Amino acid sequence: MATRQGRDHELSDEEMRRLLKESKGIKGESLWNDAWRRLRKNRASFWSLVFLALFGLTSFLVPLLPLPSPKALTLQIEPAPPDWPWGPERTYEDESYEPGARPSVEKGSFANNGWRHRATLEFTAPAASAEAIVALVEALTNRSAAYEAREVSGEYSHFLTVPLHRDDVPRVDYSPTGVEGTLTAWRVEAEEGDEVHYDLKVATELGTVTRWSVEQRTRRGKLYVSAEKDGATRSYQYEYTLGRNIAGKPRMLTLNGTLLPIDDDSVPRSRRKHDLQTVETRERISEPHTDLEARVRTALGTSDLGAATLAGVQIENGYWDLGALDEGLVHLRGRLFGSWQTGNWLGTDPKGQDLMARILWGSRTSILVALAATLCSLVIGVLYGAFSGLKGGRIDNLMMRVVDILYSVPFIFVVIFLITVVNEYRTELEDVYGIDREVIFFVVIGAIYWLTMARVVRGQVLSLKNSEFIEAARVIGASTSRILLSHIVPNVLSIVIVYLTLTIPAIMLFEAFLSFLGLGIEPPKVSWGTLAVESIEAVNRVHVYWWLVLFPALAMGSTLLALNVLGDGLRDALDPRLRGKD
Amino acid sequence: MPLLDVQDLFVRFDTHGGSVRAVDGVSFTLEEGETLGLVGESGSGKSVTNLAMIGLIPSPPGTVQAKTIQFDGRELFGLDDVEMRHVRGNLISMIFQDPMTSLNPLLSIGRQLTEVLELHKKMTRKEARGVCAEGLADVGIPNPERRLKQFPHELSGGMRQRVMIAMALLCKPKLLLADEPTTALDVTIQAQILELMGALQHKHGTAILLVTHDLGVVAGMADRVNVMYGGRLVETATTDDLFGTPRHPYTSGLLASVPTLAGDAEAELFSIPGAPPDLAALPPGCAFEPRCAHADTRCAERVPPLEPLAENAGRAVACLRAEELTSPAGGAS
Amino acid sequence: MLRFLLRRLLWFAITLLVVMSVSFTLMHSVKGGPFDNERTLHPSIEANIKARYNLDWPIWRQFLDYVGPLNLNEKRATFLGGDGSDVWGGVMTGDFGPSYRYRDFTVNDIIGQSLPISALLGVVAMMWALSLGVSAGIASALRRGGKLDLALRLAATGGIALPNFVIASFLIILFVFWIPLLPVAGWGTLQHMLLPGFCLGLVFAAYIARLTRTGMLEVLSQDYIRTAYAKGLAPRTVILRHALKGGILPVVSYLGPATAGILTGSLVIERIFFIPGTGSHFVNSATNRDYTLAMGVTILYTVLVYGLNTVVDLAYTLLDPRIDLENE
Ligand SMILES: Nc1ncnc2c1ncn2[C@@H]1O[C@H](COP(=O)(O)OP(=O)(O)O)[C@@H](O)[C@H]1O
Ligand SMILES: [Mg+2]
Repeated sequence: MATRQGRDHELSDEEMRRLLKESKGIKGESLWNDAWRRLRKNRASFWSLVFLALFGLTSFLVPLLPLPSPKALTLQIEPAPPDWPWGPERTYEDESYEPGARPSVEKGSFANNGWRHRATLEFTAPAASAEAIVALVEALTNRSAAYEAREVSGEYSHFLTVPLHRDDVPRVDYSPTGVEGTLTAWRVEAEEGDEVHYDLKVATELGTVTRWSVEQRTRRGKLYVSAEKDGATRSYQYEYTLGRNIAGKPRMLTLNGTLLPIDDDSVPRSRRKHDLQTVETRERISEPHTDLEARVRTALGTSDLGAATLAGVQIENGYWDLGALDEGLVHLRGRLFGSWQTGNWLGTDPKGQDLMARILWGSRTSILVALAATLCSLVIGVLYGAFSGLKGGRIDNLMMRVVDILYSVPFIFVVIFLITVVNEYRTELEDVYGIDREVIFFVVIGAIYWLTMARVVRGQVLSLKNSEFIEAARVIGASTSRILLSHIVPNVLSIVIVYLTLTIPAIMLFEAFLSFLGLGIEPPKVSWGTLAVESIEAVNRVHVYWWLVLFPALAMGSTLLALNVLGDGLRDALDPRLRGKD
Repeated sequence: MPLLDVQDLFVRFDTHGGSVRAVDGVSFTLEEGETLGLVGESGSGKSVTNLAMIGLIPSPPGTVQAKTIQFDGRELFGLDDVEMRHVRGNLISMIFQDPMTSLNPLLSIGRQLTEVLELHKKMTRKEARGVCAEGLADVGIPNPERRLKQFPHELSGGMRQRVMIAMALLCKPKLLLADEPTTALDVTIQAQILELMGALQHKHGTAILLVTHDLGVVAGMADRVNVMYGGRLVETATTDDLFGTPRHPYTSGLLASVPTLAGDAEAELFSIPGAPPDLAALPPGCAFEPRCAHADTRCAERVPPLEPLAENAGRAVACLRAEELTSPAGGAS
Repeated sequence: MLRFLLRRLLWFAITLLVVMSVSFTLMHSVKGGPFDNERTLHPSIEANIKARYNLDWPIWRQFLDYVGPLNLNEKRATFLGGDGSDVWGGVMTGDFGPSYRYRDFTVNDIIGQSLPISALLGVVAMMWALSLGVSAGIASALRRGGKLDLALRLAATGGIALPNFVIASFLIILFVFWIPLLPVAGWGTLQHMLLPGFCLGLVFAAYIARLTRTGMLEVLSQDYIRTAYAKGLAPRTVILRHALKGGILPVVSYLGPATAGILTGSLVIERIFFIPGTGSHFVNSATNRDYTLAMGVTILYTVLVYGLNTVVDLAYTLLDPRIDLENE
């Protein structure tokens, strides 16, 4: 017996309604649910995702962690091997202080070499005041202090160390004086072997130079000048930027600052390279002091510790210039952990910097750069590709030709060339526009990685534009925005996500590559590239400092591996051809 | 003695979805020079039967069991790989369904033809080329010398199937396994290819096992027909008998679902209700039972054996009710 | 074929022109020009230097002179009243001009010395990549799902994930310090090239292994492989004659990007192993502000990559008869 299908195709109204209701009841599994289910089934990808989430969170929270400073240098000749937390306790010798008589109070130890984000207060007072001083400082700062005391020729010096907070540092504001002066500086070249030494001499007619400093990387410096004003000698601080020809090749520069009167003749004129420049001078504005030193002095004045005096405050900053968010996290770290920090669990590098801190900070830099650069490439690529695909026709043709041309250029070389040129404007960019090097860096990287994204997005848009289900949506009267939002965007999105997970590791590698060549992130900041340089240098010596090779490689390798595995997994999970299968 | 004698052939695939019994106890014989049709819905195990005979079932996941596979007095079942390679392409050749994908697109036609002769007849490439050109001419390809230099994509589908046939016949095999040789081709080309195969069979006396799901092809070519369903043979008969009086309900269904020019244009085409069986979970009884209009309780209990009919020893049916349902058009209610 | 080559050449010319004009503009837009360092030189010396590098010309003339093919120097070019000793010059004649940093060398001298070294390194790396990648890929495809396959795929993912300088440091420790088989660094014998070439080629070997594996699996599932078996061919013949060619087609089209990648990677590898190749000169030139050298290397590598890509495309057509370059 055979079933014969009804011939009449007209459905009754009632039947129609029933069918419609039934069809509403059919719940299609959304693309994302399906993808997520499939991703979870793929064990390797799933655990990669978990690993990456954890690692990303850790990297984000690095300023919060009680790690040693990633940049504090110690006078150490050799890298120190890992000091496992479960190993025997190691004592750190702090050679800057002579051991003296120990008073009864001893709290903690600040002889720990790595911990360098701190302020050290030195009091001169009788031995008996020790406890009172500690109580005073701890109450005032709301932090626990490490304490040590020494006797020097019958007098007691009390040293208290507290974690550094942002407002402990004296903030000095300067206002323009309206006075412009000229700075004369010159360098003297002397060839010693193949390295060139520059001797930098500074003089100015603004007054007598008492002290000056220059930051090698930015070429910016401060000039402290004493001058007569209104019959009294006053100190001024001037900011200046060294001319290019003074700073010379930054990589080989050794600065030997010597203060010379302006009419000094000890260096023959013929060997001087002059840099005459106008400096904008700023005068220090005195304002009520709120820094640690001022607060302690005030408190000391109102206390009954009559015999105690504050001999000085030494501030050590364990980080480079941090953004507001990071500063906040560091602050929080001080609150949470006080002066406690991990030891050199993974050893130190040749400069005595803690390897674990450097790896984590480096990962943070690399991840941030990669994310920013990927975002940059994403924006450019998606806009370009979508525009090209949606416009179609000649414009599309032209735009894709441009992409083709750019594709056949070996981009790394152009980028390196570009970075070199941009470097020339670095100081200017930083001063005038406030754009720092990292920003330039990821914009440049992002600007080359958009090509594939543009192609992929365009292809997807193009095929969707002409696909049957868009036609169908149009036929049933969906609006353009609805078509875009509910059909095109989700479909493009899946392929974009897949491509993103493959771009991020590529950009991370590229960042490491450029930093390795000295063209990316620069010391004192760390990234995977700078870590790699250090590990390679460690290898090429007679002694193999394995921890310098192994740990950074593990961090880099596992992250990149996880990203790759996740990318592959996502590609499979979001592949519509594999939908519904396992 | 028949050219080919297959007894109790079993092929099982162990997949994630369970154990698939693709061929479940198939026995048949094939005489020298005879054309035997093998028909059935797709998925009924026709190709697997063919591949099992020449040892091309991939293992894993496949396992082959058989009482015997006698070919020309030789036992093929259990031959080791080297001996089996001597049989393949030499004594038994095979043509596949899709000529578009069955030729290597990266090698020239000539290279793909000559390697057969180089292998089995130990010819040099030069000698082989001559033989191959003749072979191509035999299958009606004009300008064979030039064709030898060409690549598959430069040939039409019909031409490619001719090349496949030429390739299969190069070593003058005694048996040609043709697995749906015309399914992928246009109707006019189909006819040409079938005609060509018939002519060549005449010329060389090759026996053909013609696998197809197209009853029209079988009707024109085969001397005898085996009907396969769910990995088992359900009916075997001479072509005339089968088309005249189908005895198995499935065969009747198949025949009824063939459109005829003579038929009433308004009448609806018959289709067997239900879906082909899941080979991973066959019912305990007759595999066709769930779809069969004549099934009764006995049918669901045990697998009906393929038994010769009382009235005609030359044909056999695997249906418990075959004798009762003598009405020839049973099924078309 | 000819039309294909001509069209390629046209696009190549456009590409090169874009690269040249962009980098030239960038280079000359640098404040004070490339000799900014010498700004306080004696005016006459400065003028001398500028004249030597033709920096006193208007920029369009400098660009035309740089690109060529005519030499625009009045002392040389006849049509400018010169002695006609050098009519041709510029990039189009293969002349990249003088180096800004190494006063006594032209860019051509430097490239001429270093390119053979880099080329050898690249060839060694490519050998490693191909031999390791293809054999691993085939082995992996044939043992699909097995332990070997798993191990090889893991190794390939690792090879892709780890930067070459990390791999280099491990291998140096292993083969130079622990098992002293190979020399530390430097340049000279083939032994010096083995380790750098390996480090450079490893990433590409990993990619090639992946591509080969997928390619082989794809081909092995094709009908024509079954046909080949049905002919009675031995498995080895089937794989080598019928499967391999199609299986490595994706690898062939990957060779273009791989070449570009090897050139890029050589920057790092040459630095690690102290190899005086073009890459290390390029990195130095970038930090030394030796613009002509940097630009010369950039252009040279653009030409190399483009040329090799074209060769790869041609090779592809030889392997795959279905590809028709005319209608590309
Ligand atoms: N390599 C294989 N692995 C698993 N199952 C297979 C394989 N080859 C065939 N089968 C199964 O064997 C059954 C019969 O297939 P086949 O002989 O190709 O049918 P047809 O009659 O259409 O030629 C199919 O249901 C298929 O699922
Ligand atoms: Mg079949």
